[in-house]
Amino acid sequence: MSSARQRFGDLMSGQLPDRVPVVCNLLEQGAKEMGMSIKDYYSKGENVAYGQIRLIEKYGHDVAWAFHYTASDAEMLGSKKSIFPDDGPPNVGHLIIKSIEDIHKLKIDSRIFNTKSHQELLKTIDILKTELGKEYPILSAVVGSYSMPAILMGIEKWMELLFTPQAGEAVNLLYEKCSQFVNLRCQALLEAGVDMIIYNNPLASAAFITADEFKKKALPWIHKDVQTTGTAGMVYFNGGGEINPMLPALVEHSGFGAFYINPMDDIREAKQIVNGKGLVAAPINDIKLLRFNEEEVKNEVERIISEGKEGGGFIFGTLVMPYGIPEHTIRSMINVAKQAGQY
Amino acid sequence: MDTKADYYNRYFAAMYDTDRDAAMGIIQSALDDGSLTAEELLIDVISPSILKLEHDMVQEKKATLAQHYICSKISSEMTDWLLEQVDRKIMNKGVVILGTAFGDFHGLGKKIVGCVLNSNLYRVIDIGVNVSPETFVDTAVKNNARIIGVSSMMIHTAIGEEGARGVCSELERRGLRDKIKVIVGGAPFRFDDQLYKQTGADGWSPDAIEAVKVVDRLMKEKANV
Repeated sequence: MSSARQRFGDLMSGQLPDRVPVVCNLLEQGAKEMGMSIKDYYSKGENVAYGQIRLIEKYGHDVAWAFHYTASDAEMLGSKKSIFPDDGPPNVGHLIIKSIEDIHKLKIDSRIFNTKSHQELLKTIDILKTELGKEYPILSAVVGSYSMPAILMGIEKWMELLFTPQAGEAVNLLYEKCSQFVNLRCQALLEAGVDMIIYNNPLASAAFITADEFKKKALPWIHKDVQTTGTAGMVYFNGGGEINPMLPALVEHSGFGAFYINPMDDIREAKQIVNGKGLVAAPINDIKLLRFNEEEVKNEVERIISEGKEGGGFIFGTLVMPYGIPEHTIRSMINVAKQAGQY
Repeated sequence: MDTKADYYNRYFAAMYDTDRDAAMGIIQSALDDGSLTAEELLIDVISPSILKLEHDMVQEKKATLAQHYICSKISSEMTDWLLEQVDRKIMNKGVVILGTAFGDFHGLGKKIVGCVLNSNLYRVIDIGVNVSPETFVDTAVKNNARIIGVSSMMIHTAIGEEGARGVCSELERRGLRDKIKVIVGGAPFRFDDQLYKQTGADGWSPDAIEAVKVVDRLMKEKANV
């Protein structure tokens, strides 16, 4: 049996692995494993690292997450408050851009690396590399520049700005600054030893824009975001919306080698569009895992794997697993995926 | 082309281009030359225009969400302006309280739904984001609302005790559960059409078109009680 790292290595080199790899996006669940609140959990990088280690020991999935929470990107740029619920991901509690002037004032430089958010994340990466790195690939995540303004100024204000005729220059300036940030972040993550970066771009999904708009407006920023690092190890993530309509342009023009579709995307269609030019990761609709019984879990996992497994180049995944999914359901899902995913 | 259709087409084009001033100019000219009354504009121009836009976005994938947000704001503003010129009692289908669940700071979807409901002649009171169950119910009682809409973008706020479930419990506690209906919406509900049942809500909608239909239905049910 291959290690998880070998499994991904085989997949990325175009070979058939021993089985379909299983990506399970367990994040805040680490706090439960460590017996602490979500706020305490994220206050120290070592908490997250050891939480991830315990989760892998418990469930046996194939990747470790060196990622804290999306709002920490905003913290690196000066957001003074994140809101930590008891049972879900933290939220941005302080929007740093309230006016066009704030966009001009926003500075993107290496000072982001001195922030506590970044330093704690480096600790997580370091521990995970030492403890699990030989056996498991380490994942982290960034928000694409096309979507990032929403966490800096709030989505409504951002959308209003997009349609303010005289604000074109400010809009482009903010995209530019966000892209500089993404370049710096990706470079720092890869240098720290992360194997794969999930590139999260929710505002570029079909939930927000049309395929034509995507090509015209989002794709150029995707290119810019990976100018420094290139696309090796980058995984394009749906961010909660369908991306099959965007896949033809992504596959042809983005340079990304892996596409993490949405549960509402058709898996066979995605594989057909990608056509061997990259990997397809297809997630289970994990909101339904809150209520699914064992048989429903089994049926759904087997369906996903049967639709994507043939010919290789396929990963079974989840979205952002809700905190309330019962442990036995998580175990069931992963065990069935491992069984059904055998080649 | 008849006058109504002409104004509808011109207004829709202006709104679709997110040109608020042009949209307002078209409505003003219809009023000025006496072609259409404010009532006719509300019923035959404003309301069908925003529903068509919603259809184009959801069904035809032609419009973007950002565009839809701006268009729904234009539509809502035109509605408020025209409502100043008509008998509000006749043109008011009822009061709907909208807010985002406690602990959740996402307000975009709720705002779109509010604007579209407003354009369909409901009086919408938007009480913002991060709203406690008590505030939802207090506001509904104070304004004689028959529907409370609770929006959530995250799963833990969608099904948590401080979200729609808490609103239903609070209504129950005050003996108002059969008088005030609760609807839910937001991303988690789109991933599981059974999820709303976990909250105890009376209905849910995946988008603003459906929200209007669900509110219409619940209002009728309420009227028949």
